Amino acid sequence: MGGPEWVTAVNLIIWTGLVLWISRLDRKIRDLERER
Amino acid sequence: MSSSWAAEAAAVFVKDWRCELRTRHAVATLALFALTTLLVASLVLGPIGNDAEMSRRVVPVLVWLIVLFAAAAGLPRAFVHEEESRTAIALRLAARPSAVFAGKLVHIATLVAAIEAIVAPLAVALFDLRVAAAAELVAALAAGGLAIAAATTLLAAIVAQGRGASTLFAVLALPVLLPALALAVAATRVALTGVAEGNLLTLLLLYDGSVVVAGFLLFPAIWNP
Amino acid sequence: MKRLLALSLWLWMAVVIWAAFHWAPLAAGFKGESSRILFFHVPVAWVSFVAFMTAGVESVLYLAGRRDPRHDRSAAAAVELGQVFAVLATVTGAIWARIMWGSYWNWDPRQSAIVVTMLYYAAYLALRQAIADGPSRARLSAAYAVLGLVVSPFLYFVLPRLGFSLHPEPVINAAGKLEVESRMLAVLTASSLGFTVLFYWLHALRRRLGAVAARRDEGVE
Repeated sequence: MGGPEWVTAVNLIIWTGLVLWISRLDRKIRDLERER
Repeated sequence: MSSSWAAEAAAVFVKDWRCELRTRHAVATLALFALTTLLVASLVLGPIGNDAEMSRRVVPVLVWLIVLFAAAAGLPRAFVHEEESRTAIALRLAARPSAVFAGKLVHIATLVAAIEAIVAPLAVALFDLRVAAAAELVAALAAGGLAIAAATTLLAAIVAQGRGASTLFAVLALPVLLPALALAVAATRVALTGVAEGNLLTLLLLYDGSVVVAGFLLFPAIWNP
Repeated sequence: MKRLLALSLWLWMAVVIWAAFHWAPLAAGFKGESSRILFFHVPVAWVSFVAFMTAGVESVLYLAGRRDPRHDRSAAAAVELGQVFAVLATVTGAIWARIMWGSYWNWDPRQSAIVVTMLYYAAYLALRQAIADGPSRARLSAAYAVLGLVVSPFLYFVLPRLGFSLHPEPVINAAGKLEVESRMLAVLTASSLGFTVLFYWLHALRRRLGAVAARRDEGVE
């Protein structure tokens, strides 16, 4: 197991990925709302 | 409405008991399940009241499992027969929702009290229990019984509307009853051993009160589409 | 959610993550670095409670008002997300339990309580599945969610305190004094805030998706 830097980095990568994914979902839903 | 709220509630209560005494369906189911499980437990365990450790650890939860099991088997149909026999419409016209709830709540509470009145003395006799504080035991049984009655009345109404089976009732009821039963089991243990464990009955009664109030507030919405 | 808000949330939690591992001290009585998990475990558990309370409030608004289906969709969305966060709380708790006491599960009152909570709201979702008619489904599940406003506080705050608990003393004890060192509290609060905003973002998305689906169903009919 790596030190705190390694754990922090992993968490940041996961968090960034999560935010990007949710942002994409947001955009998709906005498109669905617009087409109706 | 010319009749008073109390009169309407009393009328619902009387009607439910009259129906019950005619068919004896719920009472029979409750008694059957309670006595069967009690006797099986007694057969297997014997007079465990002699053993202080068993008294403390096993007996309280055993008593409440028996009561719960019997209630879950015999009570959920409280509203179903109403819907099936089409008397529900007449009932909606004849009484206010809160009066219907009150009448049914007291009816179910008396049914639960009846099971406990059978199970408790028999358990004391069969298991040879030493009861340190009889008043505490009665209080625990009453408070726990009220929780079962209040939750059952409310949830049975929900399930009856939703065309659900009694399996749905069990699914809905377990999480609601678990906190109450945990408290009731602990309170029963206190009554048997005489060793205090904090303000369990107070918390249990608080829970009961909250569920009853929630029931009164929610029943009109459940009862009237 | 606006681009700026999303960016702010990302930045906020990025700082929280850094602070959790580099700035906040370790808690006394915890094995090694394991107390760091608190900064994720506690907020996530808290957010599940917030979610279930939101479902209860939306259900009250549904029943007491004009029976607006938007409140119903909001309640259902909140419950679904509440379950997700409850699962996260359970998992992070179990990991930490493994580190601290050697086993993932102890049926400690707090672990048991979160399981019962998940059963409660699984029952909510089961109830919704069992009713075909929209308004009836909304009305009856709303009643159950409102009952949840009574049951949940008992499960989250009363039940865990009964009897022996392996869980450490709650952050704010009976006397109201703060047992936790101020830096830890700061990170804990900041993390809770971030997760709460994250919940409301996801909640809004789930609500809006439900609205689109509902409009689509209406169109078909």
